[in-house]
Amino acid sequence: MNNDPKLLEELRTARREPLAPVEKALIRWSLGLGLTLTALLAWLSRAVAS
Amino acid sequence: MKRRPLTEDWLAVLLGLLLFGLALASAAGADLLGWAVSAKVWTKLAASLAPVSARYAALPGWASLLATYAFLLVLLSCGAALMGAPVRRFAAAFTAVFWAGYACWLIGHWAYLAATPDRQAALGIRWSLNLTPEAGYIVALAAGLALGNLKPGVAAALQEAVRPELYVKTAIVLLGGALGATAADQARLAASLMFQGLCAISAAYLIFWSVAYYVARQWFGFSREWAAPLASGISVCGVSAAIATGAAIRARPVVPVVVSSLVVIFAVIELLVLPFVAQTFLYAEPMVAGAWMGLAVKTDGAAIASGAIADALIRAKAEALLGVRYQPDWITGACAMVKVFIDAFIGVWAFVLAWIWTTRIEPRPGETASARTIWERFPKFVLGYATTFLFVLALASGWPALVPAVKAAMAEAGVFRSLFFVLTFFCIGLVSHFGRLREEGIGRLALVYVVCLFGFIVWVALAIAWIFFAGVRPPVMAA
Repeated sequence: MNNDPKLLEELRTARREPLAPVEKALIRWSLGLGLTLTALLAWLSRAVAS
Repeated sequence: MKRRPLTEDWLAVLLGLLLFGLALASAAGADLLGWAVSAKVWTKLAASLAPVSARYAALPGWASLLATYAFLLVLLSCGAALMGAPVRRFAAAFTAVFWAGYACWLIGHWAYLAATPDRQAALGIRWSLNLTPEAGYIVALAAGLALGNLKPGVAAALQEAVRPELYVKTAIVLLGGALGATAADQARLAASLMFQGLCAISAAYLIFWSVAYYVARQWFGFSREWAAPLASGISVCGVSAAIATGAAIRARPVVPVVVSSLVVIFAVIELLVLPFVAQTFLYAEPMVAGAWMGLAVKTDGAAIASGAIADALIRAKAEALLGVRYQPDWITGACAMVKVFIDAFIGVWAFVLAWIWTTRIEPRPGETASARTIWERFPKFVLGYATTFLFVLALASGWPALVPAVKAAMAEAGVFRSLFFVLTFFCIGLVSHFGRLREEGIGRLALVYVVCLFGFIVWVALAIAWIFFAGVRPPVMAA
């Protein structure tokens, strides 16, 4: 662990950066794809088991 | 030309495959590892040790233990040399780590801690904590934590041999063989494990990561440089994912280091809590518990350790309350399968993030993501796990008559797997420094971790594990 006081100060006082549109798109696509794949795999798993 | 030193990752593959090969020779009649020491639940310490194979029954327990120590010392010292580590310092530190770890392992086999109810009468005791012999893992973790936090100087002196990642990866390579042997006649279970593994990838990389990144950026106001490694550390696979992500987005080296420290600390907290929660609420759904550990607990060492503890605790409780004796290792196996699948994609994820960062988020002239990143970041021990799992599965499926001999061989390898697990637990304790959470500025990072892990990831992981494994039980042991 780095105990550099500058680093701790940076963490404590960092200015908020708003989410860029590309970040919002990344979050939306990741979440959407993740939920879809999970549902698909769950269905496939049941289908194979039966 | 100077040869590049071997990485811990490749060394784990080499060690795991070597031990696997030596153990497998017993299936062909050459018992090369039968002399290795196996601990038994004891009321008299003198009777607690014996060679694992009946062919070596004449060997006294203490001699078997000394032989096991000497064998591992030589093997791992050669490994240290291949890694370019100072061999003498490694050997001295490993000696201390081995004996401390084995002492914990033996304490964990004390009948009053370990004996299951059906064994109490045979052992001549009236009560026990029913923790099974795997209590040794908990003792090793507690001893490591005590030493690492109360005597950090001692822990620092042992650092050459404090390599939890090496030990756990070697154990995982060996676990592949054990799982392959039992999966051969449990096709449905094996299929469920594979689907759960695939699902773990989409859950960890896509669902967990995006939520953790959003929470870090939007709720806590962290910069992209901090939020991306933090999200990977919380959601994917701890230390290696945080480091891979830090490199992918060109974060300052200190960022993933700070995140990794948090990951290790929280992984230990999970390790101390979740297996007992699983024992309390999931003893009737053992495979759900195993998959849950693999999805929710970060870092390979802590995840597999959690799986191993949950395995022991749940089997003991199922036997006591339900009268069912599940085969060992299936819960650990479910956990390992999930973890291995997640690990295998770290390289791909690092490549995807590097591409997004260099082309969309922070484009820099002349910088592009290279597909080579995928191979560089690929955890090589996964290859060892896949090799032992598929080799034994193919062997047992192709020649069913060999199954008992292969299972016996994997039991011999299991002695070393348990030893590597014990060393992992002890070393995880040594490197976990809880005092760091008090440092100003780290608290906010830790808060993101707490919110994401306990507010979201643990519950979604449980739901996913439930969807895939509810109603699926490990095989039951023959009477």
